[in-house]
Amino acid sequence: MLLTLDLNDARPLHEQVAGAIRRAIGDGSYLPGDRLPPARDLAQALGINPNTVLRALRDLRDEGLLEFRRGRGVSVAGPATEQVAGRALLVQRARELLEEARRYGYGRDDLITILEELP
Amino acid sequence: MNPRVTATAWGLLVTAAQIGLPLAVRDRLPDPMATHWGPGDRPDGSQSFTAYVLTVTLFWVVPWIVALVTAVEGRTLARRQGRMAWWGALFGLSVLALGINLSSVLANLDVTDWTRAELEVVHPLLVIAAALAAAVLAGYLGRGGPDALSDERREPPSLRLRPGQRAVWVGHVFNPWLALITVADAAVLLVLAALGLLGVTDGNVVGPILPGLLIVLVVGLLTTQASVRVSGDRVVIGIGLLRVPARRIPLSKIESAWSEERYPSQVGGWGFRGLPGGATIMLRGGECLVIGYRTGGRLAVSVDDAARGASLINALIAERVES
Repeated sequence: MLLTLDLNDARPLHEQVAGAIRRAIGDGSYLPGDRLPPARDLAQALGINPNTVLRALRDLRDEGLLEFRRGRGVSVAGPATEQVAGRALLVQRARELLEEARRYGYGRDDLITILEELP
Repeated sequence: MNPRVTATAWGLLVTAAQIGLPLAVRDRLPDPMATHWGPGDRPDGSQSFTAYVLTVTLFWVVPWIVALVTAVEGRTLARRQGRMAWWGALFGLSVLALGINLSSVLANLDVTDWTRAELEVVHPLLVIAAALAAAVLAGYLGRGGPDALSDERREPPSLRLRPGQRAVWVGHVFNPWLALITVADAAVLLVLAALGLLGVTDGNVVGPILPGLLIVLVVGLLTTQASVRVSGDRVVIGIGLLRVPARRIPLSKIESAWSEERYPSQVGGWGFRGLPGGATIMLRGGECLVIGYRTGGRLAVSVDDAARGASLINALIAERVES
């Protein structure tokens, strides 16, 4: 699982981790039913507290993107919830788009206008 | 030399010899025959003539069939390591089977009763030495050409790292079968410990199997799962439940990384396989992350999502070179 964090991101760490996992699932490295690497491995690689990773994983479970199963660890939610996963990914991308827009001096309304101008 | 034709012809020959040899001298052998010798040269086990012929035949036929099936399936013979192991096993085991048959028949020849059959100590040693020599020679002769470098090597997609971004990759692999074996083994150990405390079991029964069970437990704990972490300036491969022992490889020692399909049949089984410089940490067949050292050596780990890990390793190496 490839995770990328922005060093200048001011959001809380667990939100950043959740975003990185969302992106990793979104780019197809994990399919529905695939098992995620254990939280402690993710935490060690990122150099952060395992509880922060666990909090991110719980947030993603609440979104319906992940499933926690006893004895099987954390896995990507099944195809039935693909719709949910897709929406979670879109939200993540939109959030990133908004951040990028702000970097260039555009606000939320400007972005909406751009979207409406699209065919 | 076609391995399937050779194995079939050689196997038939050995089978014929296994059955033919005792039959040819049947009237000079006692029935039952001595078939097992303890310490010293006195026999401590016997079988009827028919059972003996059946045993020595099956002793060869079973591994022979396994070798034939392996050859038909073909993946093993595609690599040099696999070919050497296959030819070595085929000829080593056939010489072992023939040698056991021959020395047993010689020991039983012209004795009136199986308890009088004497086996000289040098016989088993000779048989084992001959089998090992045959295995080494056959493995050497059957090694074939070296493996093509780009055999199954799959170049990972290239990844561009943006400044101000921190990228890590975590790969994980878990083998449920090995976990099951380990848990079952631990359960047996617990039961034995409980019985031992209650004084039910006899030390003579438990003694011989205890070391085996302990070895399985340790090996199981080490090989049930593994994780590979790529972050900052190193790759860390952690083995087992506790990720200890861990192998830390600085990126400065790595030339490049890629992914490859590898199977236990190609590398010689599960666990830590091969020699330093060409080793594989094989926990399950399929996608493996292969790290190519600057010195020319390689290390492969069976791990999920290996291509992305290889991409990140290559990107981090490129970044180091640029800066």
